[in-house]
Amino acid sequence: MKIKSTGLVAALAAIVSFSTWAADPIKVGVSGPFTGGSAPMGVSMRDGVKLAVSEINAKGGVMGRPIAVVERDDEAKNERGVQIAQELINKEKVVATLGYANTGVALASQRFYQEAKIPVLNNVATGSAVTKQFIGPEFADNYIFRNAAHDTIQSAMIVDEAVVKRKFSKVAILADSTNYGQLGREDLEKALDKKGIKAVTVEKFNIKDVDMTAQLLKAKQAGAQAILTYAIGPELAQIANGMEKLGWTVPMIGSWTLSMGNFIDNAGKNGNGATMPQTFIQDGNTPKRKAFIDAYVKAYNPPNGRIPSPVSAAQGYDSVYLLAAAIKQAGTTDGPKVRDALENLKEKVDGVVAMYDKPFSKDDHEAIKMGMPVMGQVVDGRVVVAK
Amino acid sequence: MDIFLQLTFSGIALGMIYAVIAFGYQLTFATSGTLNFGQGEALMLGALVGLSLAGSVMGGPYINYWLMIPLVMLFGALQGVVVERIGVRPSIKTKNEFGWIMSTIALAIIFKNVAENIWGKDDLTFPSPVSATPFQIFGANVQIMQVIVVLGALAMMLAVEMFNRKSIYGKAVVATANDSDAAGLMGINTGQVVTFSYALSSATAAFAGVLVAPLTLTGATMGTALGLKAFAVAIIGGLTSGVGAIVGGLILGVAETLTGYYISTGYKEVPGLLLLLLVLAIKPSGLFGKTTIKKV
Repeated sequence: MKIKSTGLVAALAAIVSFSTWAADPIKVGVSGPFTGGSAPMGVSMRDGVKLAVSEINAKGGVMGRPIAVVERDDEAKNERGVQIAQELINKEKVVATLGYANTGVALASQRFYQEAKIPVLNNVATGSAVTKQFIGPEFADNYIFRNAAHDTIQSAMIVDEAVVKRKFSKVAILADSTNYGQLGREDLEKALDKKGIKAVTVEKFNIKDVDMTAQLLKAKQAGAQAILTYAIGPELAQIANGMEKLGWTVPMIGSWTLSMGNFIDNAGKNGNGATMPQTFIQDGNTPKRKAFIDAYVKAYNPPNGRIPSPVSAAQGYDSVYLLAAAIKQAGTTDGPKVRDALENLKEKVDGVVAMYDKPFSKDDHEAIKMGMPVMGQVVDGRVVVAK
Repeated sequence: MDIFLQLTFSGIALGMIYAVIAFGYQLTFATSGTLNFGQGEALMLGALVGLSLAGSVMGGPYINYWLMIPLVMLFGALQGVVVERIGVRPSIKTKNEFGWIMSTIALAIIFKNVAENIWGKDDLTFPSPVSATPFQIFGANVQIMQVIVVLGALAMMLAVEMFNRKSIYGKAVVATANDSDAAGLMGINTGQVVTFSYALSSATAAFAGVLVAPLTLTGATMGTALGLKAFAVAIIGGLTSGVGAIVGGLILGVAETLTGYYISTGYKEVPGLLLLLLVLAIKPSGLFGKTTIKKV
């Protein structure tokens, strides 16, 4: 009898919860690298997204409909990203897709969304070209948005830190050979050019390279006072550790990836002092941020209580609220109308990175503007606000 | 000058890693005419097992780095036996000339997938057993671990050579390598010798894995690139010569670091591979290899 009654209660509960969500869920795609060298970004982004979705659903969803996340691991591979884009559009029929941690994957996959008139919110990938793929006059509407600090902002901040703040005149650039690294290198060179400086040496390396001796020696011989980097965690750690091998240490200043857990862990003490632009630092300096960090740590229990990539988690979280506000304003999940709503958001969106007041316009699809990110610094295995 | 020396030292440390793995290719080629294309994965498994024993990834450390090495080699030997039994023996039995190529590659992929599931796809740090602070030789910086890699690799190869020359079991290996059929007629169990050579080959790879891991990062994908480079080394040096493996390894390692500095880091792999093509065109049996005449 007891078993029967519990069974009945469970069945009832199921019916009740089912009837609450009788409305069709709003399907939102999430594409990011959940495995491999970029995994800290992808996993944190996905978890940030899921956190925001569960909050919104707990409050009754959007237009009375819950949000359902369809997540796929693009493994940071361009071809996987393309397959996933087609699957999410044609099979899952998503309303919008959030994600992309890798510029190359974003550039390869977005055209399917553009053709299908489905908005994409890039919440991690930073390549300057990401939102500029389908701009006018050739394209009437651009469906690609972003709420991550793009490389033009980041490279300017990196150069500012090195040249203006620390007064270095000789800097070396080390970038990996991926789209991310090479596009970032171009941005760095342009930003240096504006200050009338040319890098003393520009070196590149491949993903999985284990020996950085040649690159570092060139920088050393050229008299570099700092190394500016554009790469991802594991190889950045090889650079930091490579400097120790050579017994030559100069500051590392680079793109935000210097905050990735797999850089900090693999570089250990050699990673101390690495400085990078950050939109979000795991340091609850406002009640909203603190609540977000606590909720993340509670829900996903990351090792040592450290979010693998706080920037990605925060931006992933905010991207959901931006999208939800747009769907609410549009009153429909129809792609063109949601895009239109994103470009003319009336409601202010209170995110953990920033308060978004009219984040996008027809010509500006970048929610993160110059001045929003701050410089962070690695100190004993954590990223803190740089002094 | 110290730049050149620095590059050469780094190249030597890198090259010796290639040499040990290339040596592993040679061991099985000598006795059975087959190769284990999963040599890189054997190295990767060795490093990850070593990390689980001596590092903290599996709740350890259970034992210290130096005590872990024999255990890892034992594990490598067992893994080699598995490869031989499943992947190679069937094709030797059926005189299938190419079956072992595909089956060792297949096993390599399986090992990689298993490792990804056990240890994840991320790169892990292998704690260095010695201080990472470099010391100076003629103005070039060298880490103690780099010296250990070079000496360890040489010692390993020397030990195998001594075993082959001095012990009765080793003589069985050499006899099988020289003429498998005649050795069989003399009462040597050539099947066992082949199994043994696979065990030895994977054990050396596993040993190489724990040697290089503190210098690089450890992860399921660490073996693939190293295995391929080492194969190039085995071809350059010759599949039948231990000295060839060392010389080939050093050539490739030093060529990579020197090209990276003096030409461009974008081209650092090219000279070594050009050399490979050159060797294949002029002396296909390798710089130190014996030309074998295959009677049909």
